[in-house]
Amino acid sequence: MNTTQLDDVIPKPASVLDKARRLLNDFKVWVNLDSGNLTAGQQLAVKYFTVAMILFVAQILFGLLSALQFIYPDFLYGILDFNVNRMVHINAMIVWMLYGFIGSIYWLIEDESGTDIVGLKWANIAFWVLTGAVTLVVLVYLFIQIGPGKDSSLWFINEGREYIEAPRWADLGITAVMLVFSYNVVATFSKGKWSGIAGVLTLDLIALIGLYLAGMFYMTNITHDQYWWWWVIHLWVEATWEVLVGVIMAWSLIKLLGARRKIVQTWLYIEVALMFGSGILGLGHHYFWIGMPEYWLSVGGFFSALEPIPLVAMVVHAIYDSGVHAFKTVNHPALAWVIAHAFGNFFGAGVWGFMHTLPQINLYTHGTQWSASHGHLSFFGAYATINIAFFYLAIQHWRGNVWMAAGTRHAWRWKWALGLLNAGVVGMTVALLIAGYEQSFIERAVEGSTWAGYFAAQNQPSFQHAMNWRMIFGLVTAAGLGLLVWDLLTIGKYEERKAEKIVVH
Amino acid sequence: MIEPVALKDFFITFFSSALIILAGAAYALLFAWSKVNAHIGIKIAALASYAVLIASVLELTRAAQFQGYWLIISVAMGVGYFFAPIGIWHLCVKTHEQSVDTPIKTKIQEDEQ
Repeated sequence: MNTTQLDDVIPKPASVLDKARRLLNDFKVWVNLDSGNLTAGQQLAVKYFTVAMILFVAQILFGLLSALQFIYPDFLYGILDFNVNRMVHINAMIVWMLYGFIGSIYWLIEDESGTDIVGLKWANIAFWVLTGAVTLVVLVYLFIQIGPGKDSSLWFINEGREYIEAPRWADLGITAVMLVFSYNVVATFSKGKWSGIAGVLTLDLIALIGLYLAGMFYMTNITHDQYWWWWVIHLWVEATWEVLVGVIMAWSLIKLLGARRKIVQTWLYIEVALMFGSGILGLGHHYFWIGMPEYWLSVGGFFSALEPIPLVAMVVHAIYDSGVHAFKTVNHPALAWVIAHAFGNFFGAGVWGFMHTLPQINLYTHGTQWSASHGHLSFFGAYATINIAFFYLAIQHWRGNVWMAAGTRHAWRWKWALGLLNAGVVGMTVALLIAGYEQSFIERAVEGSTWAGYFAAQNQPSFQHAMNWRMIFGLVTAAGLGLLVWDLLTIGKYEERKAEKIVVH
Repeated sequence: MIEPVALKDFFITFFSSALIILAGAAYALLFAWSKVNAHIGIKIAALASYAVLIASVLELTRAAQFQGYWLIISVAMGVGYFFAPIGIWHLCVKTHEQSVDTPIKTKIQEDEQ
């Protein structure tokens, strides 16, 4: 075969790029979104939302691969090992949720402060730096799966800490991007006007950055290492992320339901007090078995019992509001996802968390599929749902504040996406709960946490059936996600009616 | 020192823990609803939920072998879940005091009168 023949077979890079560009243009024409409807800050926000959705898809794909490897352990062995799939699955989840939160904040700060974003150019640079870094980190995860544990590995390949495996260069990059983000927030509110929401957000960002630093330094003592590592994992998720969601919810409730600012802000303060009051020392339930002093058993047990109180407050307040106000919403999908958030958060974090958190039972359950069951429902219920709700708010405005209440065209899509995603995650949660129950019973309690016990539990029919069901419900989740993506791209496309004005209650 | 759960009590430990949260939420929901709609049936259902909560707390205390200062958790759950919805309800009323349409506030004022 001569070079001319090769040219016929292998397309030139320029023609591939050209084709990709044409496809992208065709896609833009099909989606038919007008960025002229958005402010500069909102245009940046939708970039974050777009990457968040791509990472959400990646999370589900790598989750499906991991689930399949539980059923067929030889599947992709030596090519894409389980530990790598699981790592990308979880990292993609953390990062897409962060992208969703950051995007939501960029979306709301201009409205909240009453002025344009300060340092927008830096914010745009930070977005591309972060996205480039995330892409590079994932490529390194996939192409360098095995290697020596040297200092250089820690800096450039993988830091080795579960859930926050990003190498140190990326850690520093993430911190720098978060500093730019914080600068945008603080400078914008300083130029415009401060509010209760702005104050809580600013303090939360300081905590968010500060806590991330705790996961960056290496220690030779595993107990010390785990002690600080949990500061990032627990305190990020059960303190700073919860507050961030509180801020986003507070603003959304004002915009979505016309709730009065004074009331929303007062409840934001109450929520922060309740969450910090129970959540910070709730950290103790992660210190039970890592070599920490015995008093952590009591501290962790006591504060874990308090952690559901904010959820009880939510129930009471919801009933109060439904009794007093006749709220009308202009965005049905967004409100439906907010309701899914309330239920998912209550069951995932409250019920599933407390079921196995006291040390007397956690001795057997920690690190089993029970934890995975709790993790699936609580992350989905507390964070995925609220991000999706915000995506629907954003798409409504991107389309020119169109009608998205009763009588929306093709409403079955968002309803089925909501149903399939929730059914899929609940199904996986129940399947993992059965697997975790069996694992903690056989492997931990009966066999005493030995290797033989580990394999005995993995080979139990109930464990294996549970893993099959987890796979099936994983596919249901994937179908729901496919429908969600389709709906987000098309909802309101041919809608000519404008959304009603929201009445402040 | 803690005494791990016995094998025979595995299921009941998980079940009673879950039931504490569910009954706590059901009590909170029904308590709040009884304030919105003063129907005696709702009040009775709220108290029944609280009774389930107390039974669950007692069962968890037995199954998880709470002793000594661990009993504080049982007491805190029993007392805390009873008063938390009441306190939160009062917070709701106070924080909404200047609301335009306040049928509940009117009802509470009527109660006070």
